[in-house]
Amino acid sequence: MTNKSTLILNWTVPVLALVAWEVFGRLDVLPRYLSAPTLIVAGLWELAITGELFVALAASLYRVALGFAIGTAAGIVAGLGAGMVPGVRHFFDPLVSLLFSIPKIAFLPIFLLLFGLGHASKISIIAFSVFFPVFIASRHAVLSINPILVWAAQNMGTPPRTVFFRVIIPAAAPQLFSGIRIGLAHAFVVLFAAELIGSKAGLANLISFGEEWVRFDLMFAGIVCFAVLGFGSDRILMAIRRRVLKGHLIGTEEQALQ
Amino acid sequence: MIAQAGNLIARWYSIPLLLLIWQAAVGTGLVESRLLPSPAQVWSVLVTEIGNGQLVYHASVTVSRAFVGYTLAALIGIPFAAAMARSTVWRNLFEPIFFLGYPVPKIALFPVFTYIFGIGTPSKIAFTFLECLYPIVVTAFFGFRGIQTRLIWTAANFGASRFVILRRVILPAALPSVFAGLRVALPVAIIVVVITEMIGDSIGLGYYITIWSTRFSFSHVYAAIFVIGVCGFVLDQALMLVRRRVVYWQREVA
Repeated sequence: MTNKSTLILNWTVPVLALVAWEVFGRLDVLPRYLSAPTLIVAGLWELAITGELFVALAASLYRVALGFAIGTAAGIVAGLGAGMVPGVRHFFDPLVSLLFSIPKIAFLPIFLLLFGLGHASKISIIAFSVFFPVFIASRHAVLSINPILVWAAQNMGTPPRTVFFRVIIPAAAPQLFSGIRIGLAHAFVVLFAAELIGSKAGLANLISFGEEWVRFDLMFAGIVCFAVLGFGSDRILMAIRRRVLKGHLIGTEEQALQ
Repeated sequence: MIAQAGNLIARWYSIPLLLLIWQAAVGTGLVESRLLPSPAQVWSVLVTEIGNGQLVYHASVTVSRAFVGYTLAALIGIPFAAAMARSTVWRNLFEPIFFLGYPVPKIALFPVFTYIFGIGTPSKIAFTFLECLYPIVVTAFFGFRGIQTRLIWTAANFGASRFVILRRVILPAALPSVFAGLRVALPVAIIVVVITEMIGDSIGLGYYITIWSTRFSFSHVYAAIFVIGVCGFVLDQALMLVRRRVVYWQREVA
């Protein structure tokens, strides 16, 4: 199959779906809550002009960025610590295995009570839920490093600091990134739920306001923004990952795909 | 024997330690017990609420919704992934939807789901289905793709029919990946059901948490969180049991 026909097939379903949506929406065949794509774009434009979009975007972005950063940093530090020091591992392992299977969003009422309806409660619950996948990935990454690598470095008189930065960190990096990526996905889910349940600003609020005012074009505009934000963050993370892991990806299927 | 006990303590001390600190902090009045109920209070609420059937009822609602959405996603997603892996046209048609759609936070679409399917069980099941479909399809796809062609050639060479190849070569070779995807999707199902119940419903554990937090009875909230954790753990163990039966030739990792 040629490249061109592949490309055409790739675009068939999304384009067909959009066109069908637009046509049936204009013909009033679809229920009213499914505003036509062009109306959504117009709604997006309207929100952008009034500036509401950017206020909501800034609030959501601030929460998710800070929460994600705190959760990732804590997860990496604790996870690497747990991987290297048995005492730390024995402290965290029972706690993590106890809390892991619980959706962290269930703790939202408690976070709301402790930190109020503002930014702090969202940031802390996002950090809390990002912590677990990152912790598990980094703990597992350190434990699965081939000890021969560490021994070899130590044997040649490498100081512990250099072993940490030049052997352990690079060897753990690929798994660290997969944990961080899962954490990023969790961050957006929790952000949305937290904003919808208890908050006065943010993209999720924009979406629910759109529902309340029966302005479904605005609701979809908010949804599109949220989706783009999540998708864009993931792309940025993957771009960073490719740069950092340049040497790791040689000869893997992923490199062949690029 | 003593060494074994010491080992056990060294491995598990953190949970009882934190519970003790928690209980002590509440007991001495350091933290107000209305905001942070002591473990003993939570336990007594847990026992009464299980006894009067409240928690059992809400948990059964949550688990059955998660289970139905998850099962639908598995039943449709796995054959879909197989078709995507085996047919070029099919793959080119749907690959962008799954691979570009994977990192999109689909939770933002939930308001639309409530319009299409209503606020009750159907919208939760449909949304769980969507959220579980992605990890199941993507992971299974790589499993079906990664089959070594020489295995298929060998079977074909021995005169195996297409059906026999599918049943005896392709399926077993892909099963470990299929189960990896199923395992990723299982907590997703529970998370999604609980979140959507918290956003709007009148039954289920998510609702239970919301309603008791507005009544400021946090012992109930903690009790419900505990029940969710137990459900998640039991379901994961059940899935692993099935995996051991089905993929008996390979031990699971971690």
